[in-house]
Parts: sequence; C-alpha cells; structure tokens
Amino acid sequence: MSDFEPKIIAFLCNWCAYVAADTAGIARYKQKPNVRVIRVLCSGMVDPSYVLKAFAAGADAVLVGGCHPGDCHYISGNFKAMRRAPLLKKLLTEMGVASGRFRLEWIAASDAPQYAEIINEMCEEVAGLGPLSPSITE
Amino acid sequence: MNNVTFEPLRWQEDPVRITVFHDTEYRRAYYQVTAPRDPEGICRGRPVEELPRILTLLSPSHHLVSAMVLDKLFGVDPPPMALNMREALLQAQFFSHHLRKLYFLLSSWHDPFSDYGRHGSRKELKMFPLHFLDEIMHHQALSQEAATILGGRPNHPLCAVTGGVSRFLKEEYYQRLSEIAQFCLKFAIRLGGFFRDEIFGDGKALEGFDAYQIEPMVGLTSAEKSGHVVLNDPVGKTNDPFSPDMLFKKIGLHQASWTCEPFAHIKGASENTTEKTPGESGNMFYAEFPGSNPQFFFVGPLARLNSQDTLLSPLAEEERQRLIEVLGPFPHFGVVAAYWALLVELLQSAEKMTELYVTEKLTGPAIRTIPSEMGQVGHAVLESPQGLIYHHYRTDQKGIVEEVEVLGTGSANNVLRCLLTQKAVDISQARGETWKETQNRIEISLLPF
Amino acid sequence: MPNKKIAIFTATGCRACENAILDIHYQVSSLAHCADIIFWPYVAGSQWSDLEKQENIDVCFFAGAIRTAGDREAALKLREKSRMMVACGACAAFGGIPGLSNLNRSGMVGGQPQGTTDNGQQTHEEGKPRGLPPLESRVSALSQIVKADYFVPGCPPPQNFLWAAIQSLVCEGISPARLTFAASRLPEAISQAVSAGILPPKGSIFAGEKAVCATCSRVKEEKRFETYKRSYQDYEASGRCLLEQGLLCQGITTRGGCGGLCTAMGQPCRGCFGKAENIFDPGAKMVSAISSTFDSEDAQEIEAIVDGFVDLLGTFYRYTLPTQCALLSAPSKDLKHE
Repeated sequence: MSDFEPKIIAFLCNWCAYVAADTAGIARYKQKPNVRVIRVLCSGMVDPSYVLKAFAAGADAVLVGGCHPGDCHYISGNFKAMRRAPLLKKLLTEMGVASGRFRLEWIAASDAPQYAEIINEMCEEVAGLGPLSPSITE
Repeated sequence: MNNVTFEPLRWQEDPVRITVFHDTEYRRAYYQVTAPRDPEGICRGRPVEELPRILTLLSPSHHLVSAMVLDKLFGVDPPPMALNMREALLQAQFFSHHLRKLYFLLSSWHDPFSDYGRHGSRKELKMFPLHFLDEIMHHQALSQEAATILGGRPNHPLCAVTGGVSRFLKEEYYQRLSEIAQFCLKFAIRLGGFFRDEIFGDGKALEGFDAYQIEPMVGLTSAEKSGHVVLNDPVGKTNDPFSPDMLFKKIGLHQASWTCEPFAHIKGASENTTEKTPGESGNMFYAEFPGSNPQFFFVGPLARLNSQDTLLSPLAEEERQRLIEVLGPFPHFGVVAAYWALLVELLQSAEKMTELYVTEKLTGPAIRTIPSEMGQVGHAVLESPQGLIYHHYRTDQKGIVEEVEVLGTGSANNVLRCLLTQKAVDISQARGETWKETQNRIEISLLPF
Repeated sequence: MPNKKIAIFTATGCRACENAILDIHYQVSSLAHCADIIFWPYVAGSQWSDLEKQENIDVCFFAGAIRTAGDREAALKLREKSRMMVACGACAAFGGIPGLSNLNRSGMVGGQPQGTTDNGQQTHEEGKPRGLPPLESRVSALSQIVKADYFVPGCPPPQNFLWAAIQSLVCEGISPARLTFAASRLPEAISQAVSAGILPPKGSIFAGEKAVCATCSRVKEEKRFETYKRSYQDYEASGRCLLEQGLLCQGITTRGGCGGLCTAMGQPCRGCFGKAENIFDPGAKMVSAISSTFDSEDAQEIEAIVDGFVDLLGTFYRYTLPTQCALLSAPSKDLKHE
C-alpha cells in the first residue's frame, strides 16, 4: 500500500508545540506533508470529542502536542490532557483504533527537530497501519 | 403446496409465525420464531455484575436469577432482608404476569377497544361489563406499582445486585405495599369467583377446548427448599433432583432450520417405545430430532402444579381442590387446566404478597453482603411466572464474561408450543372451523403456557 | 373529530414498551375514545394482511431494534402507511440492548449466521415452511432505516412521557385526563405544544433537555476519586453522587427527564435516554468527565487507575451503540437528529 497517504490531524498548543512546528517549518526540517495543524490555546483544551470527531471525519491519526509538565502557560492545562489520554486510548483501542494512531506528546517551543521527528515517525507508522476502518477488536 | 400463514401471532413474547401446510392427508403446522434473541452474544465481554440489568431484556424475572448467579460466583449469601425483597419482587411479577394473561384471555371475547370490530371478538357472549377489564388493569397497575417500589421499574427492574439488593425501602412505602397486597388479594378472590362461574368448570366459555391437550410430558420444576431441579415424570417414575450446574448435562438444545428458538429436550432416548403412526399429532415433529426417541419436557404453572401435592397458601389450595373436583386429579396437560393453574398461582402470589409486604420482613441492618473474592463460575435456577429459568456464567479473572448459557421459557416450552399448535390445528380443522377460528384456537391454546 | 388510527408494533426487543402502553394509567381502554387501534399484533392479533387493507395510519408507535430483514420490511411498510412514526423506547430510538450484538465478534447470532443475503434456509425444502428472514449484518435503530418523526426514549419509556406522546400526537389535546404532570419535565417547545393541542416540532424527543444529574436526587460534593469501583464493591446506596464514589455513572452524558430512576435505586445510570443535547459522542464525554476526577498528576498512577476500567464500549454505549457511537454507527436517515 505504498500510495496510501495518511491524514494526520495535529492539535498543537499555541505556546509550545505550535511554535515548535512553526520553527520546524521555517528552518525547513524535512517533514512529511500529511499533517493538518489545528492551533489550540492549550493541550488541555482538546476535549476527547474533538479527537473522536477527527477520526469520524476521516483522519487516520491524531496528535495532541502540549508543553512539558510544569511549563504550561496556564499552569495545569497540560495535566488535564495527561489525565485524559490513557482512558481515551483505551476507548479508542476497543473501537479498533490502533494505539499508534493517537499520541499525546510534550513538545517544547525550542524543540523543532523533535517535532519533525514525531511527525515523520507517526506518518510512517500510520502508513504501515493503513487507512482507518474502525471495527470491534479485543 | 398450499399453506396458510398467521403472522405475527398474538400474545407471544417473541415474534412468531404459524405456517400450516394443508393439502396432503395430514396437516403439518409449524410454530416459527422469526427473530433470535442472542443473550449470549450481548453478554460476552460485559462485566459480569452488569448482567442482571442486561438480561432483564428476556423477562423481569431473569433479573433475579441473574443476581442469584452472581451470589454464587462471588461466593456471598445475601442477608435475609435482601432475600425477602427479591422474593417480594418475584411475587409481584407473578401476580402481574398471570393477571395479564387472564386479561388477554378475557379480551379475546370482549374487546377492550370495542369501538372497532375485530376478529375473534364474539360480541354475543356478553359475559361481563367492559369496565371489569378496566378493574383488572387497575390491579395490574397496583402490582406494577409494587414492582416499581421494590425494583425501581416494573418491566426492567434494577434492585437485585451481587449479594443482595441495591437500596433500602423508604419509610412511606411499607404502608403502601401492605395496602397493595390487600387490594390484590381481594381482587384475586373476586376474579377467582368470576372465572369459576363463567369460564372454568360449569362455565361455557372454554367448553370447546376440552380436547386441546398434549400427551403427558415430563415437567421441569425446582424443588423449593433445596433449590435443586427435578424432572417430574407423569408416568410415576420418580427422578432424583439434581443441582443446577448439572442442568445442561441433562438438557440438550436442538436447533431446527425453520425456527430461531432452539428446542430444549432431555438428553438420551425415551423409554417409551410405542411406535408413533403418521398423522398422529406431532409425529412429523418428532422426525426433526436426532436419535430415535426424543424425550421432551415443559415448564410453567401447570408443570409446577403437576409436581406438587398440597400448596401452603390456603386460598390457592382451595382453588386447586376445585380444579381437581372438576377436571380430575393431577397431572394435567390441557389448556383449560393451564388457565386454571394461572388462577391458582395468582391466588398464591397474592397470599404470599400479604405475607411478605410487612415491615418486619422488609427491614434489616444490611441490604447486601460485599464480596471479598471473585470466582469464575456461577449457576442458578428460579421459578419465574412463565416457568423455570436457568443462567450460567463463566468469567475471566477480571470478571469479564466469557461464556453465558441461558435456558429461558422460550426454548423450554418450544416443543410444547409446537405440539399444541399441531393439535389445535388438527382438532379445529377436523371440526370444520374456518382458518380465522383456527387461528383464534391456536392463540388461546398457547396463551397460558 | 374522527378518531385517529394508530398502530403499535415491536420489531426485535422485548415486550416492555408495548406492555408500558398497555399499562398506561390503567385506562388503556379509554384510548378507544380518541383512537382506533387498527394494528396491534401483540394485543389485538392484527395480521400483516390486515394492514394491507388499510389506507393509512395516523400514528405508529414502533418499538424494537432492526435485526432481521423482516424487521426492516416491517419498518418500511409501516412508514409507508403512517403519517407519523414514533420511535418508542431505546431500541427503536437508538438501537438499545440488542445493539450490543454489534460487538459480537463470532458472526453468529443464536445459531443463525449474520449478514448473509441467503442464509441457507432459503433453499426450499419440500414441505418445510418458508425460511426465516435473514439477519442483517448489524443491528440498527429505526431512524437508520426510515425517518422517525418523534422519539420517546427509555427502557422502557416512563409512563409520563408515553402518556404525553399519546396525548399530543393521538389525542391532540382532546382527552379526559389532565396533562400538567406530563408537561412539567418536557422541554418548553414540546410542553407548550402538548398543552395547546398542536403537534410538537418534528424530531422532538419526549424527554428532558439537561443531563440526568439535573434531576438526580443524590448529593453532589467535590468530584474526586482515586480508584475506580465496580458495582459489586462497597459504596453508599443512597446519598452521595455515584460518580464521586468511583462508580461509572453515565448521568452526566445522558438526557434527563426520568428523574434519576436508577440512581435513586442505588444503581449507576446506563444511558437509556440517549445522549444529552450538544454532546457529540457520549463515550468521549464520559472519558472527559471521568478523567477530570482523577486525583493525580503522575502518569504512572493515572495508568494504574485506568487499568481497572473494563468494557468501556459496552458501558458507555450500552443502549446507543448503533446510532450514537461516533466511530461505529451508521448514518441516520433523519439529518436533524444527530
């Protein structure tokens, strides 16, 4: 399936992850083009409904990028995201969404190369998994 | 191939179609359940403690037997108050279920929606004023109210949980419950009088149904004290009671191609080796089964009365004696006896309600026993209003259900219904009745089982 | 005013919804004053052949989910004849408990293979009856097969909402009984319509607007829990909010109006009224609600808590899997009802 191009939706927090993505773009780090970025003010703003809606609308993978714990611009916003992630992952797994399709990553504003690396990794993994077709799994 | 179809069939819990082939020498009638229930598929993968609320889909009493399995699985004994509350709910279910069946029977002669003419409504038989049906529904509502007080919702109760019930009753309900029990008992007595005068015995209404019987069949009931299960053979051979976990060693399920509901039957061949001649009621049906001499059984109020001697509740026992006076001694296998059995059990449940709906029985220090460990297997049986039901669950270490086995009254009485349908068609058509009348005969024959 | 013609039918499910109509205020016979019940197989023995003779039906109360081709046919036939279809009960409205069959991986349902157009019984054996209607590949709710005009959710629907639906759609305000008790818990648009004797807007759901928590009788304090409890473990039967005690109670995502029946009995809500307004996916909302109560900031601890949760799909979407699970449901025919 070498011609399958995954669609990745990335919810990036305005203060860290988005800046990193921006920098990675300006510095022309080599990145796969499959990402559609949605800038949010904080990773804690990303309700699990948005993630499900993204999958329901045709995304093959979703990335949520936030500040490192302790560095959140709103103090504890990223802890909210951290609390949601495992349960959300569990629900997604039960629905047949492989665990590699949803990632919560802490990306510092200065860490543009890390951002690029995460994107490339995700694209490769999801390309291997194929297009998303939810079904019941164990 | 000429055939007649009745679909959907009235008063049945499952969607049912009757097909009768009638152009050969013998008429072959088939009772077909047209949609499966799939309790096993729905429960696999669910946490086991959720099963009472899920399996109540099958009938309200399945909620109670499910909780009994959980008690076994978790190794807990519910406190006495909880057992009383569950029993109290069961008796309300008995009253409600049997009353509804009797209501349906009466409504076949006197249509409650009588503004609109309907088939089977014999308007010339004005046995009782229309508002009598309203009174029946009023008492139906009272017993449903009791079921709501005890169980949360009438048709899909909530209260039975692992180790007991889910909450205490509120103060104000004790008084109301005991009122309801009184009303229900009074009405049951009145209803009994009416039925004796108009329907059973000297009554003319069910006269045409004397011959509507099946051949003697084993009854599957539960021995009250021990909770064991008994196969009561009417030919007099006593069988040893066995514990619930042996049920599916004794009972098998056979799936036919033309109905979704499997047929429950006794494993092993029958000792009765009389050759069945073609044309004899149900012979075509026997050919469905593997092996040469399948053994069948049935469950329900009639099976229960066939297996018991004296009832403990005095009014019910009186009624049972009247039945014996008119129809002869037990065992019985006919439609008239089945309806009378409903009446006997209605009285019994009303009497049990008056016994149980008292503050002393329904109060106590604890509503449930908290389990300290979790097993992986449980079995339980319960006499539900419609007959004996059985559940068996097997879980993994986390308490997620891996396997569910349910014996419901749909499967347990499937054989009886097929045989009775065939009998009803044979008798009705031999008397030259129209197909519409035959349909009515089938409906009324199957209703009490 | 001529009597309305009504039909009452259950596809795949149980008889609780029809029994609920039968038990209406113990005056089901008074329905005869304003309605001709021309098709009610369960109580009146109506046959499909009777339906064909009818010109049209005014209101059809359709209960039960769609599991077989026979159910689908029934839904289509009744929709064709009926002016208004009411999806009565959680099975018809959202799929209900039969919808959990969609999680059944074995491909067989009660001895029948699922989803084949010809399930083998159609090869007509001489003298054997016409085959059983084949099973569909998945269980669906009514609104996924035909357009449903009104919804009365619940398992079974509580008496007051059923009565309100009958009053407003069948009697259209002209009835001997009083309406006020039913109108009180309904959203304004519907209750005004019911009181005025006109039809409520199409797509109306005869239930409350807010979540169950709004009418639940339990006491809500600070929402925090450290471990997840399953309902066989120890918890207070009455008093404190169940979610706060560590149980999975779905009152937060479920449409209210029932008055917190289950929670009053000491049992957690399982969502039989479907999702509340403005919720995209009840499972996602529950994840959000529950994880917000975790009392920890350590990733390992949180993983450990989450490990105890079991069967999220079967619990969050107990009654609504075919219609309201964002990833696993098929689209609805009624675009207004999301």
